[in-house]
Amino acid sequence: MASKRLGRTQDPTILVLTSLSGGPKHGYAVIKDIESMSGISFGPGTLYGVLARLEEEGMVEPLPAEGPRRPYRITATGAAALRERLQVTVKVADVAFKRLGALGA
Amino acid sequence: MKKTFTVEAALRCYPAWWRSRYAEEVRSVATDLGAEGRSASRLAFDLVRGAIRVRVRAQGMPAVYRLWTTRTRLSIAVATLPWMLVAPVVLMAMGTQSLSSRVGRIFPPQLSLIGPNDLQVMGRHAPMAAPPLTSAGWVVVDGSRAVLALFLVTLMVLTVGWSRLTSGIQRSSSPHRRKVALLAWAPGFALLADIGLVVALILVRPSRYHSTNGGLMVPLNGNPAAAHALGVALGIVAIVGWLLSIVCVGVATKQAEVAPADLRFGRTVSVIVAALLAALLVAYATWGIGLIVQARQAASGSHTTIAYSNQGLWPPMMCVLISGVVLSVAGARAAVRSWRVISIQFV
Repeated sequence: MASKRLGRTQDPTILVLTSLSGGPKHGYAVIKDIESMSGISFGPGTLYGVLARLEEEGMVEPLPAEGPRRPYRITATGAAALRERLQVTVKVADVAFKRLGALGA
Repeated sequence: MKKTFTVEAALRCYPAWWRSRYAEEVRSVATDLGAEGRSASRLAFDLVRGAIRVRVRAQGMPAVYRLWTTRTRLSIAVATLPWMLVAPVVLMAMGTQSLSSRVGRIFPPQLSLIGPNDLQVMGRHAPMAAPPLTSAGWVVVDGSRAVLALFLVTLMVLTVGWSRLTSGIQRSSSPHRRKVALLAWAPGFALLADIGLVVALILVRPSRYHSTNGGLMVPLNGNPAAAHALGVALGIVAIVGWLLSIVCVGVATKQAEVAPADLRFGRTVSVIVAALLAALLVAYATWGIGLIVQARQAASGSHTTIAYSNQGLWPPMMCVLISGVVLSVAGARAAVRSWRVISIQFV
């Protein structure tokens, strides 16, 4: 695929927040959800690096553990940050599609 | 079994605070991913990469004073120890300087470090002025002087930092104070051992010789065998002592529970050392590039050229030095950030 040459454009933080915006999930469920929506497969090291940072920044919060699994939930701050970021992405995508249309590509 | 072992080994790369918070969850995710066929090596690689990131960025580290001071001390050690490992090797890898010219033998054979250099060619008749160095030759000279000057300045900065560390340990109320102080004094003990061996070498080395008819030099005093053995021992003690000092000071820096003011001082030392190591890299790179350009300039015309006995080691030593600078700068950056957290949250 030619798009692979553009490099990695999906930020893991956005993917994790997007996954959690569909409801609380534990680590494995987040990984499977991201895999199904973007085709990107995270490892536990990457996922928990992102979760720790988001937790520190108050964008996600842990819920009581269910055995060895602990679900995480997106907070209001996290949802606002995700919305703001996606609005910019959508704006850029709109412009890109319009310009590609003008090119006839 | 293999999967569990590799994941457990990778989890050990994380700091203890991280393991106590996330290890159980990560184990469960790794087990689920392993059950669906993801390879153990891929999981372990991802975990090790994550562990490095956590150690460098300390993301999610709880606001506990002891954790942040340990991190600051460890960062200071990471920023300063690469210099101790790399800089002496770089200096030795430059080798000895020699001057040459197509016109004849150059005298003096080496340039003076300071002051003017009146180079002459020793011909069959009266000595005459030597041809000049090329412009790149002077860059080589200035590069080597800069390397030496930066080495000495950093050594002084580190000595000041080390003395602050030892005095900080003396003032601390830690129960392990004596053990840590002993570790911190390792460079002092190594230096004392070196001085002792040098004195012994001077005492047993022959100072008067008798020349035989066959041209052999026979010592009239001293003990040549003992002098040789002491010379070898001196080399070994110097290298082993230096390496042990690096390890001991590193351990002492990590374990010494010093006051916040000492930590702040250590952070400043680490930033200065990282900057000086980066400057050393620039000077060493300039020296090596100067040697390459000089070889081209000297090919066209009569010039005095400058060479170093180990200049062929320049490319591998550049790689070593770049690695050292990257590590040192990362350590200094982490020390600055950790100290910022301490100063905002605890002091």
